[in-house]
Amino acid sequence: MDGVSLGAIYALIALGYTMVYGVLQLINFAHGDVFMLGSMIGWYASARWTGESQHPSILGAVAVTLLSMVLCGCVGFVIERLAYRPLRGAPKINSLITAIGVSFFLEYGGQYAFGPNPRAFGVLPHRPPLHLFGITIGYVDVVTIVISVLLMVVLQRIVFHSRIGTAMRAVSWNPSVAALMGINIDFIISFTFVLGSVLAAVAGILYASKYPSVHPLMGLMPGLKAFVAAVLGGIGNVPGAMLGGLLLGLAEQLVSGYTSSSWRDAVAFGILILILLIKPSGLLGKGTAEKV
Amino acid sequence: MAGLLGGSALRTTGRAARSWLPFFIAVPLLVLLEQKIALNPDYGLEYVFQNINHIGIAIILAVSLNLVNGLTGQFSIGHAGFMAVGGYVSAVMLMRGPQEDPYRIFFVLAVLTGASAAALAGWIVGKPSLRLRGDYLAIVTLGFGEIIRVIIENTPFFGGAIGLSPIPHRADFAWIWGVVIITILVAKRLRDSTHGRAFLSVREDEVAAEAMGIDTTGYKVRAFVISAFFAGVAGGLSGAFEGNLAPQSFTFVRSFEIVAMVVLGGMGSITGSTIAATVLTILPEYLRALANLRMVIYSVALVGLMLVRPRGLLGTTELWDYWRRFRARGKPRPAAPAVNEALIDVRSATIRFGGLTAVSDFSLQVKPRELVALIGPNGAGKTTVFNLLTGVYPPTDGNICILGRDTRGLSPHAIAHLGVARTFQNIRLFKELSAFDNVRIACHHLTRESMAAAVRHGELSGVEEKWIAERSHELLEVMGLSARASELARNLPYGEQRRLEIARALATGPQVLLLDEPAAGTNTKEKQELMQLIRSIRDRFGVAIVLIEHDMKLVMGVSERILVLDHGVTIAQGLPREIQSNPKVIEAYLGEKYAREHAAQIAAAGGPH
Repeated sequence: MDGVSLGAIYALIALGYTMVYGVLQLINFAHGDVFMLGSMIGWYASARWTGESQHPSILGAVAVTLLSMVLCGCVGFVIERLAYRPLRGAPKINSLITAIGVSFFLEYGGQYAFGPNPRAFGVLPHRPPLHLFGITIGYVDVVTIVISVLLMVVLQRIVFHSRIGTAMRAVSWNPSVAALMGINIDFIISFTFVLGSVLAAVAGILYASKYPSVHPLMGLMPGLKAFVAAVLGGIGNVPGAMLGGLLLGLAEQLVSGYTSSSWRDAVAFGILILILLIKPSGLLGKGTAEKV
Repeated sequence: MAGLLGGSALRTTGRAARSWLPFFIAVPLLVLLEQKIALNPDYGLEYVFQNINHIGIAIILAVSLNLVNGLTGQFSIGHAGFMAVGGYVSAVMLMRGPQEDPYRIFFVLAVLTGASAAALAGWIVGKPSLRLRGDYLAIVTLGFGEIIRVIIENTPFFGGAIGLSPIPHRADFAWIWGVVIITILVAKRLRDSTHGRAFLSVREDEVAAEAMGIDTTGYKVRAFVISAFFAGVAGGLSGAFEGNLAPQSFTFVRSFEIVAMVVLGGMGSITGSTIAATVLTILPEYLRALANLRMVIYSVALVGLMLVRPRGLLGTTELWDYWRRFRARGKPRPAAPAVNEALIDVRSATIRFGGLTAVSDFSLQVKPRELVALIGPNGAGKTTVFNLLTGVYPPTDGNICILGRDTRGLSPHAIAHLGVARTFQNIRLFKELSAFDNVRIACHHLTRESMAAAVRHGELSGVEEKWIAERSHELLEVMGLSARASELARNLPYGEQRRLEIARALATGPQVLLLDEPAAGTNTKEKQELMQLIRSIRDRFGVAIVLIEHDMKLVMGVSERILVLDHGVTIAQGLPREIQSNPKVIEAYLGEKYAREHAAQIAAAGGPH
């Protein structure tokens, strides 16, 4: 179950990668750092409102999470506006370098602003683990899974059953034609970034509740793994990102269960190389040929 | 026959020896420098040389990464991982190998083994991921770098998290800088060869490159493996120089620093990578106070550069390009002018068609590498000027000198031989020939092979054919027409036809390029690109350009000097901003009434009065 909840968090982050990739064909390297900011904002907010006390009330937790979501949404919007939009249409490698630059800026700017030391952090009220059907599940894991599933259902509704979701999918198919159909591409892309960042913020709060340690470089590894999850499921594919996140979380948990946990980080990249060798388009992805 | 073969073999050996001359000259110098200065305690330069050696290692890393990220246009961000592989393998060998290594043979062996291991790692990582779109490589290399670090930290054999120490100190100034020279030479030779063009073609347009018969995946893997090899060498040198290796020095941050060097220096430029590696290695030494902000500054610089100057500071230009251009200019050409003398010198040229004076009393001097624009309302006589310059019409009065030679009586082709090439307002391509042939034809006058020898298929013709093909391909590539080489000229879209015309003109090896309305019928974005193109043509080929154009944005953006014609009379000339505010010009374009209103507006706004 530990693996499932970890997988759910990966899935939440992976959704941001996959949606941005879907509309822009850009790997938003900074996404993992937006996730970090989500945790950071959460820490600051809860430290401010609840003193250093680790376990605020449920209402406080909700408020902190909402604040973090709003701020991360803004950050995502600003990043897209300042760093990526001017480069739209530029060679891919330029956007990629910019993305990495933004990521490093957030990480080391964060280190400069917040200091490099990890901070203990737990937003959720402390409760004893639950016993369900003979297995023991940590309380945080239950909350994580419930919230993630909820958010994914909402996202599914947005992407597949709303006007704006239809517009997003149209942009991902063909931006210029979508524009001709009267879709405001800039708005859709901004919206996609904001949506992804909001999910990352939630993931950040949940992750920090699960592993209560917040620091400016914490986004790097989960970010990369979430990307692997997105590729595993088929990048650009929303259900794929969910599936990929879940599988990756389980795989990691299995490996750290059976071998030394320090090999955990290696698993994700092993999986990535394997999937690239076997089915580069991902589990749920469709193979696409480059347009000539 | 045998003698001929022997002779050519000798020549080949001679050429091979000569090609490594820089290395053979440099090594004794480096050793001398090391013995006399670096190791001499009197100077107390230990710290300085330590930094110089760090610079050397950084250069090896940056130049090798440039092969992948710059030349081939892929994006690897795990260079430190390959460095670690090479470093650890050779360090383990050195520590377990013989303690005495007087000729450093074992050291060389260890470094080469480490580098080969890195190359192998590069192959394993690159093979699956390079088949795919470029952005996967970034993630895979990033992940690879992290995995390598995890493996090292968890393997007692490699010293775990503490690292390896002491590694026998074998690498020093002369060794490191000897390898720097080898790295740069290899990178440069590769770049200049057909393989280098293959790398570049991958970067420019994979689909086109593939269509040109280039095995893009193969070349990507090759670039990647070579790059990993040199990263491994750098790792080996670094370990044998520092005396220790720790996994902390091979983090993602290290990789990012190398990426920053390549990107800041200019993607594809070996010179740029070298300079950036030097600067970015020294800078932190002097900015200790800002140590915490170093990565922040790097990242901001990187993003800023991408927004402002996406190709990096130097772009793809190289120091030796300037040297070559300099030498090429120095070569004696018939009637070659002194460098600063006007390439074109028109004095009071007038041409009358019957009673109509199309151009009167026209004077123009064009200096080497100058960008001059010729503007004016329709029917002002601009194209007539071009026709005068290229000898389509002889002037009724006045003199036209090109490269110091009076063109009176010369036919257009002779003037082309002098070094004037043009494009046409109403495109005049060889419509039924391929784009490639269009350009090849233009190379014709630069060849020397007689027809008979060409029929015999002599040695020279092969060489020249090859040269022409190369030249033509290069020109097509410069114009972004690589993929169109075999397309019939008439089938090309309008904008590409215009560019093909420029390519063709350039193929004649001109000193002056005359462009007649190159932007006609192009959109804003294309105009923007054209502006870049015109400048880059000037920079790359060292030609002077005379431009006729109606698009004022383009004219103002690109030209250094502007001449305005109206009814065949030069009504103004000067710098772009002088022309913009010149009342005569405004009058010619907008009519007298508007010009007066405009002047009134200026006066009302407190302008000149």
